[in-house]
Amino acid sequence: MADQPTPLERFINGILPENPVYRQVLGMCPTLAVTNNLKGAMTMAGAVLFVLLCANVIISLIRNLLKPHLRIVVFTLTIATFVTIVDRFLAAYMYQMSKQLGPYIPLIIVNCIIICRCEVCASKQSVFTAAADAAGQSLGYALALASIASVREIMGTGMLFGLRVLPAAWPDWVIMVLPPGAFLTLGLLMGLANYLVARHSAVEKKARG
Amino acid sequence: MISSLPFLNKTMKGNNVVLEVAPSPHIADASFATKKMMADVIIGLLPVIAMAVYMFRLYAVKQMGICLFTCLAVEAAFTRMRQRPFPLMDLSAAVTGLILGLSLPVTAPWYVGVIASVVAIGIGKVIFGGLGMNIFNPAMVGRAFVMIAFAGLMAASGYVNPVIGIDAITQATPLTAFKQMGISTPLSDLFFGLVNGSPGEISALACLIGGLYLCIRKVASWEIPAGVIAMVVILAGLSGLSGQGVVWAVGYHLFSGALLFGAFFIATDPVTSPMAPVGKFIFGAGIGFFIMVLRLFSGYPEGVMFAVLLMNAVTPLINRWTIPTVMGEK
Amino acid sequence: MNDSLHTENSGNKRVKKNFLVQAWLVIFLSTFFGVALAAIQLTLSPKIAANRLNETLNKVPGLLLGDQAAVPMKIIKRSVTAGAGGVKKTYSVFAARVGSRSVGYVVKATGQGYADKIDVLIGLDGALNKITGIFILGQKETPGLGAKMVDPAWRAQFTGKLTDKPLKVVKTKAHAENEIDAITGATISSRSLCAIINQAVHDVRGPLASGLIPSGPIPSDLNKTKPGKGPNSPSNGHGSK
Repeated sequence: MADQPTPLERFINGILPENPVYRQVLGMCPTLAVTNNLKGAMTMAGAVLFVLLCANVIISLIRNLLKPHLRIVVFTLTIATFVTIVDRFLAAYMYQMSKQLGPYIPLIIVNCIIICRCEVCASKQSVFTAAADAAGQSLGYALALASIASVREIMGTGMLFGLRVLPAAWPDWVIMVLPPGAFLTLGLLMGLANYLVARHSAVEKKARG
Repeated sequence: MISSLPFLNKTMKGNNVVLEVAPSPHIADASFATKKMMADVIIGLLPVIAMAVYMFRLYAVKQMGICLFTCLAVEAAFTRMRQRPFPLMDLSAAVTGLILGLSLPVTAPWYVGVIASVVAIGIGKVIFGGLGMNIFNPAMVGRAFVMIAFAGLMAASGYVNPVIGIDAITQATPLTAFKQMGISTPLSDLFFGLVNGSPGEISALACLIGGLYLCIRKVASWEIPAGVIAMVVILAGLSGLSGQGVVWAVGYHLFSGALLFGAFFIATDPVTSPMAPVGKFIFGAGIGFFIMVLRLFSGYPEGVMFAVLLMNAVTPLINRWTIPTVMGEK
Repeated sequence: MNDSLHTENSGNKRVKKNFLVQAWLVIFLSTFFGVALAAIQLTLSPKIAANRLNETLNKVPGLLLGDQAAVPMKIIKRSVTAGAGGVKKTYSVFAARVGSRSVGYVVKATGQGYADKIDVLIGLDGALNKITGIFILGQKETPGLGAKMVDPAWRAQFTGKLTDKPLKVVKTKAHAENEIDAITGATISSRSLCAIINQAVHDVRGPLASGLIPSGPIPSDLNKTKPGKGPNSPSNGHGSK
């Protein structure tokens, strides 16, 4: 499997070039739903990191035992197990956060990012590569959530991480912490990301001549 | 604008005539026609503006000025960014700014007008590709944004300000007063506009004068306001059966709030309304229906803005339903 | 998996088609994961249940005696069923005692708000004449508007209101004894909350005053020494860690 991406490539790929939110447009449901404050968004990203890492490692370990037509069942079983673990842990140790995130933690089960990584990477490559891939993708996901949540929390409440960053005279843009704000912010940031990518590749083309 | 307002690009290659299908407005010399049309809209708005200035004095001037200036500035900035020819002369941004300024409460702080204008032009229009490509009425997109963002300043309480010394502003708007306290305003006050409200909506008379001018000049299609008014008359009449009487309810719902202003100036935007006459009537009736549903059953006292946006969303569907028969075909 | 089909195939193929050969991994994993999840659930569920209960219990002293209260009190949970006709509502009522003296009751009430359900705790004094405070346990009202009901300054209006007259929301400055200032731009949320409180107070006052608390199974005594500490639930075999 010499032509498969190396662990480092997998890791870097997940952060920007194949960012799950901005480039692959996966996992939109939690991206829109839990990004009205940074704390909730980061808890979500942490939960995804745990689930993705565990699922990728387990799937990679058993990759040679997988039957092609039953692989999705195995992926789903594994993912659901770790999601339930995260859900119970949050309810036990971060009760308020668990109440705030509500159904979106259980919904990680159907988050395409995870099943996509199991399919694309973990079921084909070694444990180490799969773990690097999970870390890279989760980091990319966390970056995307953080960027959206920062914009929304600052504009919507004048605060970041629950701390005031804008003067009290700032008129809170309530719409930014409501669902429409999620769509607007995601759309505009994705536009910005595409613009930067387009400019980057144009510059590279020019450099190559 | 010229390049973004395509009309009939005839490319003659031998005998091949290529007809380019383009979004409305479909007019021969786009920039010229748009400009003339927009100038007519501004003339139609004059009685409304006069009434607003008479009632709210400098506050109305200030609010309209802020919106007008910001809309023009944003339009200029975005078209520069998109490297398009300078389009301000078609006056469409000016109309958006004026309608926006006329639909915001005069007491709203300056940043409300600025943000509403930026959203109206930026998100309401430019993101879709400029004039003629937008799905939603830009002014209403901007207003809806600030309405939700600054609900405290824009909801019923935002209209009342006892401090600034203009009589009308010390009372609740007629629709709010009726919905929350059961107080009804005399119909004559509503008709002439001696009430509180957004500067553009207060006077039914001014809206009628300006609106009829637009219809006569064929800048606005009469089917749309007719549809709105017909539907509102029917539904308001029904709602009046169990209350103050049919005639009073019809008059009250017609003359209060932004109904006539919306029917004549906002809903008739050619870009975001259907093309066929039947479709226009359906569009208007839909707006009237949603206005009455929102007024009677929702938490909001007024529903013109949301009604227009909702019907904008189904405009492509109405267009598909009401393709007119081509002459000579069955 | 379709081992019933293709019976005419050779034995080798039959073995390959056998569902155990195909699905042993799925079966093994589901058993393994199931056991792991059961273990986690057994370990954590007492803690989660305690979290839920504590959320309310921690608020009881503050709601009844003011925020600085750190009096050891004994809290007894009971349920009160009230309501006319076919619609019956059950409230959790937490009766608090210091020594043998009753210091009041905290009623947990739920009702429809503007956006979603609102959960509210209502503190009532021992004689059931006054509201000693309210606390919003859960709400999903509009951020920036209705959600301001959690604001302590706004909630403070309810403290000291008499329970004999229903509370009324007014949009201008509240003057009368039983009036509450609406949250700016969120009249409906304010009204819904007041309606929930009025209903709950009305429903529980009678049964509590007459002492006729319909006690179902013996309510568990929740001994508390300090606010902020978890309860020792005696009925539960698994101690929380």
